[in-house]
This record gives sequence, structure tokens and C-alpha cells, in this order.
Amino acid sequence: MSTLLLAIESSCDDTSAAVLRDGVVLSNCVANQDAHRAYGGVVPEVASRAHQVNIVPVVDLALQKAGVDKSDLSAIAFTRGPGLMGSLIVGVSFAKSLALSLDIPMIEVNHMQAHVLAHFAEPPHPTFPFLCLTVSGGHTQIVRVTAPLEMEIIGHTRDDAAGEAFDKTGKILGLDYPAGPIIDRLAREGTARFSFPEPNIPDLDFSFSGLKTSILYFLKKKRKENPQFIEENLTDICASVQDRIVSILLNKLVLAVERTGITEVAIAGGVSANSALRAGLQQLGKEKAWRTFIPAFQFCTDNAGMIGVTAHFKYLAQEFVSQEVSAVPRWKIGSEGA
Amino acid sequence: MELIFRDLVDLDRTVVPALLRAAGARRKWMLSGDIGAGKTTLVQALCRHFGVQDYVTSPTFSLVNAYSYPDAEAKEGQALIHHLDLYRLKNLDEAIDIGIEEYLGDPWFCWMEWPELITPLWPEEVFKINLEILEDSSRKILFL
Repeated sequence: MSTLLLAIESSCDDTSAAVLRDGVVLSNCVANQDAHRAYGGVVPEVASRAHQVNIVPVVDLALQKAGVDKSDLSAIAFTRGPGLMGSLIVGVSFAKSLALSLDIPMIEVNHMQAHVLAHFAEPPHPTFPFLCLTVSGGHTQIVRVTAPLEMEIIGHTRDDAAGEAFDKTGKILGLDYPAGPIIDRLAREGTARFSFPEPNIPDLDFSFSGLKTSILYFLKKKRKENPQFIEENLTDICASVQDRIVSILLNKLVLAVERTGITEVAIAGGVSANSALRAGLQQLGKEKAWRTFIPAFQFCTDNAGMIGVTAHFKYLAQEFVSQEVSAVPRWKIGSEGA
Repeated sequence: MELIFRDLVDLDRTVVPALLRAAGARRKWMLSGDIGAGKTTLVQALCRHFGVQDYVTSPTFSLVNAYSYPDAEAKEGQALIHHLDLYRLKNLDEAIDIGIEEYLGDPWFCWMEWPELITPLWPEEVFKINLEILEDSSRKILFL
């Protein structure tokens, strides 16, 4: 008999639902105008009220796209943390209610673990052990993965995340939020001819706060000489900043490979959509004979598909939770979620 | 009151003790200042002062980061700190949606970056801090 899982993700801004059969993603929906058209509503923006409005339509849509009836579900998976309390609560409560009414088990999932296991949504899959650099607006970490459910963080940011470095730079440059994709696009037309310092952070940890400050000082100085400096050099500034952010990330990956001897190298999280990071990783892979892995875009950003993929591993291991489970805003990979 | 500081040593030795003295019983702190002015760096120093063990990272994306530190007077011996950042929120409604009133009304420290968005919700007894980058890249901190 096949295993049918419904997975729910509501840790931050997006409400998402996915349906999986035997670990294969049948549908992976993020609440947007599509999910709401049937209900005649509009999509609210941030946080818990938005999730409350989104969750029923997006679950309906995921089931419908998968061609699955909820009475056939084997279990329900949900993001227990880390994330914003008010947002997590919506997904956790919904999962508990539905599991209770259908009398099926529940599976808790760590959102950061799910980003890593998103690599198992579609082939090619990395083999164990592998390294995964997870980069997003809120996170930057290198994870050593020894088995589907065994992983440890071996490096992480001490201040800002890489995605935040993109967004804050965008703010300084007067670009719209989120600025990551805009900088990516502008950088393609520019040359990385301005140099920003690489922070001197020991081991496999990262820091992006100093980079933000040095960009700020650099622009302040240049604009004193030429008030039009940003406008006249926008593409080159973007290329230079992106070049530095990517090199900070990749240099630490090189160090992580040297230290662990692991040459299966993956990236995950929303920033792994950045074209320079993708190209840089592939180039490094060729030079150093690593096998490199980048998930499809739909599995990079926050999505329930990756929650479902992780839950499938847990289903096979029979790792279920009881109705006493509650959301945990801070939950590090490899620690107990209490 | 106004202080100028240059580095983390000044921040730890001079600024943090001065702020805590000036704040007195006020636990809701509003941290204003431009990008790069040092708001998160100040919160990192405050957390160091209280003995927070976790890495203190930017809450811009997560909106709220919670930390705990040992406090014999608190229930279960642990007190909480909420580090908020309203940078990416667009209006008061979104702030209410994330439960902002809870963080303003509870007994714990709440250190809030980009708090101007919710001025109408500020409790009466807030501690206001403004950080500014000076020409020589030292920082000026104003508080009242």
C-alpha cells in the first residue's frame, strides 16, 4: 500500500501545502492568487492572520492538484520550527486538528533540516555524507549530513544572513525589497571592479554585517566626490557586491571540504537561486572534482514539498508525535525541539 | 544623554552599563538609527552582558528572535529577551499580526529595531535610543 502524506509549512511569510506519494512530490503549492481565486479573496501579506486565511485554500489546492482525497492520507506533516511563533502556531494547530479528525499520525519537521533534505525531492540525489550550504534571508549555515535524519551544523552566521546582505545593500542603493533578484539581474550587466573586504572570521562561521558597513562607507565617500555615483555605476556596484557575497560563501565551502574531506557539496535555501552562486559552485565543482547539487527553484524557497520529503524519511522511521506537540520558534538542527 | 563610542570594548565597558542605568525599570527599548548604525551590534553587546549563550543574529528576516539568560528571580530561573526588527513590515496591521502587543506587554526585555512603524502602540514608559554614524565612523548614541 502506498504512503500518502500531506505536508504543511507556515514558519514565516508563505503558507504552503504539498502532497507526496511514497516520497514523490505530487503537488507543492504556495498560497498565492491561484489558491485564492476560488474563494474570491486576496492574499494578505505577512504573518499569522495571512496564514489563517491561506491555510484551508492552499491545502485544498494541494489535494486537488495531487488528485488525492483527504480520507486517503496516511499522515500529516508540519513545520514545528524554527520560525515566527504566531505563524508556526497556525500550521501546527491545523495539522493537529486534521490529524485528530482523520485519526492519522502526525510528523513534526525542522524547517532547516527540510531545506537540506529538499535535495531528495528529485534526482540526482547527493550520497551520504554530504555538505549542504543553506542560504536564505534569515539563515546562512553549513551542515554536515551523515544520514537522512542525522546532520549537524558545522558553521553559521554570527550576525546577518547572506540574503539579508543582498536586501540591505539593495536598500542602500535605493532598490525595491526583496533586492536579491534585482541585484542578480543588474550584476549580469556589470563588472566586479570595486573591491570590498572579506571578513576575517575563524573556522566555518560567516559574518555579513561588516560587509554592509563597508558598502555604506564606500558609497558615502564616492557620493561626496560624485553625487550621481550610484546611478552611474549601479550595475558595477551590484556585480561587485554580489561577487563578494558569493566568494565569502564559496571560500567557506572550500574550507569545509578541506576540513571534512567530503566532496559531495550541495546548496539550499532561497539564495541558492542566485545565478552567480550557482555558476560559482558549478565552476568550483569542476576545478576540484566535487559533485555539486542545486535543487529546482520550487524546492529552494520556503515550501511544503521539502517538509513532505523530510516527513517521508521520518514516516519510514516511524517517528510520530502526539497531540501534545507545540511550536518551537528556536530549534537548532541536531537539538531536541523543546 | 549622549555617548560616543568607537569599538566593541567601549560598547561593553561604557555604553551597556550606562544604558542599563539610564533605563532603570524600563524594559521596552526602541532602537532607532540608519542601516549599519550598529543596532544589532548593540543588542549583541547587551546579550553578552546578560550572559546569553546563543549566537545573537539579525532578526530582520525572522522578525522576532528570543533568547534566555539565567535570572534567579524569574520563573524556572530563566528570563527572556525578545529582539525584534520591524524593518520589513509595511504597516501597523502587519505588526499587530505578528503579535507585537504581546512583546510590548509582557514583563521581559524587548529590544526593537525600526520601531517607528508602531509609534501609536508604544507603551508610556519606553526607553528611546538613537544611534548615529559619525564622520570618522565612530558612533554617537543618544538615549532618554
